[in-house]
Amino acid sequence: MSWKHVWIVFKKEVKDMIRDKRTLISNILIPIILMPLLFTLMGGGIEKMEKDITENITVALAPSSNTEEMRNFAVNELFVDNPNIKLIEIEGDPVEAIRNDDVRFVLDIDENYIEKLENCQPYSVTVLYDQSDTKSGGSFGIVASAIEQYSQKVVAQRLVDMNIDLNILQPVQIQQSNAADEKGSGNMMLMMILPMLAAILIAVGGIPAATDLVAGEKERGTFEPLLTTQSGRMSILLGKYMTVTLFSIICVMAQLIGVFIGSIVSPGFLTMGGTGADLSFYIPPVALLLTVLITISLGMVFAGVQLAVSTYSRSFKEAQTYMSFLMIISMIPAYATMMMQPDDVQLYMFFVPLLNAIASLKMVLGNVINYTYLGIALATSVAYVFISLVLAASMFNKEKVLFRS
Amino acid sequence: MLELKELTKHFGEVKAADHISFQVGKGEIFGLLGENGAGKTTTLRLLATMLKPTFGTAAIAGYDLVKEPEKVRSSIGILFGGETGLYDRLTAAENIEYFGELNNMEKTKLKERVKELSEIFGMQEFINRRTGKFSRGMKQKVAFARSIVHNPDIMLFDEPTAGLDVSAIRDIHEFILDCKKDGKTIIFSSHTMSEVEKLCDKVGIIHKGKLADYGTIPELMAKYNEKSLEEVFIRLAGEKI
Ligand SMILES: Nc1ncnc2c1ncn2[C@@H]1O[C@H](COP(=O)(O)OP(=O)(O)OP(=O)(O)O)[C@@H](O)[C@H]1O
Ligand SMILES: [Mg+2]
Repeated sequence: MSWKHVWIVFKKEVKDMIRDKRTLISNILIPIILMPLLFTLMGGGIEKMEKDITENITVALAPSSNTEEMRNFAVNELFVDNPNIKLIEIEGDPVEAIRNDDVRFVLDIDENYIEKLENCQPYSVTVLYDQSDTKSGGSFGIVASAIEQYSQKVVAQRLVDMNIDLNILQPVQIQQSNAADEKGSGNMMLMMILPMLAAILIAVGGIPAATDLVAGEKERGTFEPLLTTQSGRMSILLGKYMTVTLFSIICVMAQLIGVFIGSIVSPGFLTMGGTGADLSFYIPPVALLLTVLITISLGMVFAGVQLAVSTYSRSFKEAQTYMSFLMIISMIPAYATMMMQPDDVQLYMFFVPLLNAIASLKMVLGNVINYTYLGIALATSVAYVFISLVLAASMFNKEKVLFRS
Repeated sequence: MLELKELTKHFGEVKAADHISFQVGKGEIFGLLGENGAGKTTTLRLLATMLKPTFGTAAIAGYDLVKEPEKVRSSIGILFGGETGLYDRLTAAENIEYFGELNNMEKTKLKERVKELSEIFGMQEFINRRTGKFSRGMKQKVAFARSIVHNPDIMLFDEPTAGLDVSAIRDIHEFILDCKKDGKTIIFSSHTMSEVEKLCDKVGIIHKGKLADYGTIPELMAKYNEKSLEEVFIRLAGEKI
């Protein structure tokens, strides 16, 4: 084997693949635009929903309490501090109005409330809403706390009237403190999506190259002359192997660029409708390096397996069939672990190919880093790289496989 | 120049090449005749070092096939099958240069060689265009140039004219004769008697992996007392009724 020949093969293959428009589209263009598209579609929806829940809350009064006085009470007292809650008029049956989405809440206020208020008796405000509706459920908390706020205001006023210190109502004051790493607690969305897509794209990214580089070459009739040049078989294999690895990594990089563009185009998605303040999160450099290495090794494992498959195939078509099968295999763990949280990862995962990369990415993105686990993942990844290379090399040396037609 | 010594290849039970021995001198054209599955391609692949022999060896340009496969590869050029396999997305020059580089040619020498070949084959007009849209004839020229870019002493052709039209066949014949003129030693396989009669100095007839006999055409006709090469072939390789 000679590195000079490896390099010649690698250079030629990369040039050849780059000139193929299909590779450019599937390896670079699609991953880059997929992310912003996904973010905008899903992010837009989340943002709109969030806005609907918190900002466009409509409230109406039940017919029995819909009087001038009650309306004044609602607007000027009950919801005076919540301009996001709007009082509107409805016609007909309140239940019907809620079902038709004409209004989100209907309030039925005790008709004797003034009397009861003055006598310091509790009076009731019944809130009618569709509990099966996500938006109404989300908004209910806001309406309830508005009423609670009003109620506390009344209490405070009464205590002041009685000359009692407000503090006697609050023996304990709760202080919140975040136990997660100060440097940021990771990003939910990225944690769900990135490992899954990375696993799939790294499997997909090498496919066009791997298919073309051996099965395609056999079919075109360039393979036999290539094998009779002075470069040894292993140099040819290694040059091709590096090319396939490169393209699967390019695919993942394109995806990362896509995530970056997506987070600019539609920041609401990553922050689940929040303001974007919690988008910045921190990954320790060592952990980052380890995950990058693990991801690259995953690309190399796929490259080896795909080249072996491509060598085994009689034709381009046959190779494509096997490749799509390989892709489906990689999708199963990717989807199965999508909802997995970083503290759900288990030791065995770091020994299983593909799962080890997904679990590592989850841990690092979730900032729950266990360096022993990362180390195991890297060690097993390297072992799998070696195994996949041996597999590809053995295929490449099998005369029966190489020259069958 | 080329000497096969009991060259043998088994694929499991199948003896694709079975103790094949013959010699070809410098500047000679040797034709391999045989029915489908006789072992012609296998023999040529063995000589091209694509397959490892089960038994036996060959001396090619003074190098041992088994012990010095890399040296052997530096002295051979091949053109296998009727297909002129090229990389569609590379230019004609890039296609040729790739094989030159892999054959350890030095950069500046290689450039000169490509220029020279492009003149020899009249490819100046399309040498820097991608081969994907080339006509069959243009592709063939590139494939010829590629096979001799490193100026090998020995050329191996496996059914070079299979499935080609008349003018393409004539171009190949010319190419083979030009190679001979340049002092190259040539082995090619064929199913076409007239082609073999036209080009070959010596003929070998393979039957079920074994070399039935070999020699010049007149020698063989005299030996078997037949009036044509075809008759000799039928006698040695045809199924007995
Ligand atoms: N890679 C391989 N694996 C297994 N058997 C093979 C392989 N290559 C060739 N054979 C077998 O070896 C025998 C000789 O095949 P070969 O291709 O050398 O014949 P051929 O003379 O070139 O035939 P044709 O005229 O059809 O091209 C056949 O029986 C074939 O099936
Ligand atoms: Mg054949």
